[in-house]
Amino acid sequence: MKITAINGYEAHCEAKGVERDVSLFMMQNEEVAVGDFVMVHVGYAIQKMTHQEARSAWELFDQALGTADIPLTTGDDHV
Amino acid sequence: MSVTARQWLERIRALDLPDKVRIMNVCGGHERSITQAGLRSALPSSIELIPGPGCPVCVCPEEDVYQAMQLALREDLILVAFGDMLRVPVNLPKREIRSLEQARAAGADVRPIASPTEATRIARDNPDRAVVFFAAGFETTTAPVAAMLAEGAPDNLSVLLSGRLTWPAVAMLLDSEEAGFQALIAPGHVSTVMGPEEWEFVVRDHNIPAAVAGFTPESLLAAMYSTLRQLQDDRRFLDNCYPEVVRPGGNRSAQRCMAETLEVTAANWRGVGVIPASGYALRSHLAAHNARTLFPSYEDPERKRIGQMPAGCDCSRVVLGKIYPNQCKLYGLACTPRSPIGPCMVSDEGACRIWWAGGVRDRADTEVA
Ligand code: SF4
Repeated sequence: MKITAINGYEAHCEAKGVERDVSLFMMQNEEVAVGDFVMVHVGYAIQKMTHQEARSAWELFDQALGTADIPLTTGDDHV
Repeated sequence: MSVTARQWLERIRALDLPDKVRIMNVCGGHERSITQAGLRSALPSSIELIPGPGCPVCVCPEEDVYQAMQLALREDLILVAFGDMLRVPVNLPKREIRSLEQARAAGADVRPIASPTEATRIARDNPDRAVVFFAAGFETTTAPVAAMLAEGAPDNLSVLLSGRLTWPAVAMLLDSEEAGFQALIAPGHVSTVMGPEEWEFVVRDHNIPAAVAGFTPESLLAAMYSTLRQLQDDRRFLDNCYPEVVRPGGNRSAQRCMAETLEVTAANWRGVGVIPASGYALRSHLAAHNARTLFPSYEDPERKRIGQMPAGCDCSRVVLGKIYPNQCKLYGLACTPRSPIGPCMVSDEGACRIWWAGGVRDRADTEVA
């Protein structure tokens, strides 16, 4: 969900038209700001989301060996 | 540029696979995505995807559900629980009150909640009444309960905790004679909180390929590809195919909340038995918030010995990945989501319910393992 407002450990979040209050109590080790995306579980943000695509370490191995046969994920072109 | 599900499938099809490979998942969310996306029929027939112990509601001990029901019925208190828990039946004759939902219909103040923050709010709104939060869940759900306690729960709020750790059940399966799977898809959100490193033992101690997956078909297929290629190339490692939220070490802040408030104990799993170091209990300094300490007379050790599943229900074997849901004799006949017999048909994370919701109507006769 996308954070739209922060007040202490409470954040207001939005995703696909659904709005929710989300606790940031478990995000104390991270800098979180309005506009960030967080993964929410039972009303608590459990991690900040990055823009990395699903991938396998095999791509790195194949790349190192020069045997990559499929497009590599660059990891920064999707949300 | 990202790899699409189709491309992952093509890569899987291009692998040199053994005649049969069983890949287990241990997360209800994974099983739901696999079933909804129809991944079983899209994959080569040599690959079997087995739902394992991934439903915390299903393994919540019967005596805990019974205890929550008795508290709600006999004490003047508000019992709150995650919605799934309300319909889970205990092993009592049909004419008796057998679930929290039925207890509510009989006048008990039972309220479904979706977040620990709601338990706090209900306790604040009702300062004159005791509120008991019956909290069953794996690490991803137990961490928020720990956060709620660490932040400081209202005096009138206590927790009846049935928290479980995921990996010990997998360790138990792998230590048994017949684990029944050759590769593991490790849970995405458990790894987000606890760190993917928790699953390294699967590779290190058992030489079983493992990969953490998220909930999109792309992530699940990436993880399947990774484990299958590990088998093909005879090279093992723990892969992380959910880098969006799974980072080395996991969420330290969540882990700190858990360490401050909870300790790891031996725990009973419904239909499975006691697994060492597989459950969470509140630390002693939180005794005032521990429903087990506040209402000791409701602990009923005798109940542990009563059959753990309703008669005829094969949930225990479904949970351990020994049979598929549609191999249970009652699946779709006596047992449907409308009139569930066992917890696996009640919970959104139960394999029986997921398969039924996914349209599986035929029944299978062959055993998984
Ligand atoms: S189909 Fe029903 S009775 Fe059979 S294992 Fe699943 S929940 Fe139990």
